[in-house]
Amino acid sequence: MRLLVLLWSLGPLLWQLRTSLLRPEALVAPLLEGNPWTLANYQLVLSGDPPFWRYLGNSTLVGLATTLLTLLLAVPCAYGLQKLRGPLRWGVGLALVGAAMFPTVLLFLALLEIARSFGLANNLLTLSLPYTALSLPLAVLLLRAAFADLPGELEDAARLEGLDLGQRLQHVLLPLLAPALASTAILVFLASWNEYAIALTWISRNDLLTLPIAIARIGGGSVFTIPYGAFAAATVLGSLPLLLLVLLAQRSIVSGLTRGAVKG
Amino acid sequence: MRTRTSSLLLMLPALVLLATVFLYPLLRYGWLSLQASSVLTGLLPVPNGGANWLRLLDDARFWTDAGQTLRFALCSVALELVGGLALALLLHRPLRGRGPLRALTLLPWALPTTVMALGWRWILNDPHGPINGAIRSLGGTSYGFLSTPATTWFFVVLADVWKTMPFVALLLLAGLQTIPADLEEALRLEGASRVQILRRLTLPLLLPYLSLALLFRLAQSLGVFDLIQVLSGGGPAGTTESLALYAYLNAMRFLDFGYASTVMLATFLLLVVALGGGWLLLRRGGIARATERPA
Repeated sequence: MRLLVLLWSLGPLLWQLRTSLLRPEALVAPLLEGNPWTLANYQLVLSGDPPFWRYLGNSTLVGLATTLLTLLLAVPCAYGLQKLRGPLRWGVGLALVGAAMFPTVLLFLALLEIARSFGLANNLLTLSLPYTALSLPLAVLLLRAAFADLPGELEDAARLEGLDLGQRLQHVLLPLLAPALASTAILVFLASWNEYAIALTWISRNDLLTLPIAIARIGGGSVFTIPYGAFAAATVLGSLPLLLLVLLAQRSIVSGLTRGAVKG
Repeated sequence: MRTRTSSLLLMLPALVLLATVFLYPLLRYGWLSLQASSVLTGLLPVPNGGANWLRLLDDARFWTDAGQTLRFALCSVALELVGGLALALLLHRPLRGRGPLRALTLLPWALPTTVMALGWRWILNDPHGPINGAIRSLGGTSYGFLSTPATTWFFVVLADVWKTMPFVALLLLAGLQTIPADLEEALRLEGASRVQILRRLTLPLLLPYLSLALLFRLAQSLGVFDLIQVLSGGGPAGTTESLALYAYLNAMRFLDFGYASTVMLATFLLLVVALGGGWLLLRRGGIARATERPA
């Protein structure tokens, strides 16, 4: 059972790994013929112009900027929403759920217009602005659920001690929220790492591409000339950071969604 | 009153950004959909009195795509729910090496859709992909999986299920963890079989999570774009084209922003109708189920 599940989940990935280690002429050879392994595809991808590291770096930069900005905006918003009473709380909550579900590709045209009129295109840091907005609904919902889990007496006590809101957040509430912050951060980072439609339309300069676009470009050209070996090597290189992240943070991802889904 | 004002102030920056990115585009599309704004007008908006909407009503390609998108969404979401439930039940059991197993099964969801869509294209390649390789080594002739409408559609659904089933499983796993283990134990001591436990205990308690996963995945798959753009390009002959891809083509290839806005807004409205319908159905089902069971 376990083996079957692993085969289903990892099979396509393992095939990429195999492809990345074969020479082009070996790719078209019969399936079971023994073939020598090679790292030529990796050399090709890493010595490209710009080298592949550049795209990894671009995606990491956008991901970190997005994660940081999302948390900076989501923490106060979640706190405020948790304190809010009445129909407004219900309305904002519902709007956030709606926004979290929204298929983001439908936004790209209007966002592209904004990028053009304010000169935000071809800039990795401004790209994190729409990314932050796309991640905010889920982040606020998850963090609000986490705030709701904290005992109210705790904050009351801190208030009686004379701590203002900033101090209460910094010294009392946020340390307790660390697990929720971590799992939210991972989900935001993953979403930003994988986004396609907005990056496709905002970034046209070759050295600023994010990973999904760069890899899709390697696979561009005509259907018959896709350099599958190089593409597979790029896939493997681009997947390694995610593999590490998921292996390290699996527990955190599951527990974060547990809390969020119960309340949401 | 004071807490209310300060709450709103705390929320303001996030709400402003959200309104810019989610609300403004919808309003902008509403306005643009009433303009001619294409190469013919020099890409400048000129009011054309609802001509875009009349064109939409008469646009066979739009309605074909709407049907195809709905069919794709229903099929893949149904498969994802069933498969995701099975996967969640497996991952919930106390197995050896459960942590790494969970992480590895999550991996397809964590990877960029476009990247794996290209991976699938290689796997389905005619004649050099592994599937055709296996067919040929068994003595058959290779098959153009991505040049035949039926198999293309099948593999688009399969690739989507492969990619998002782990996410559904994750949501349901979160739900399974809220079910107290002693309830299950009590039922088992009463002599209930595993199927009975699933039907009487697990599924009813999992219902909110199943509904959440259903609505969320339905919304996402009705807006499917990158998977189809990369895997099939909407082909062969437009048989896998989705509404979002049609809207994208109108904007970026035909450079008809007025009509692209109309298609996007119409897609959004269809989505709201579909989700609203789904939600009502779920609620009615939930109420019926609740009254059916004696407290």
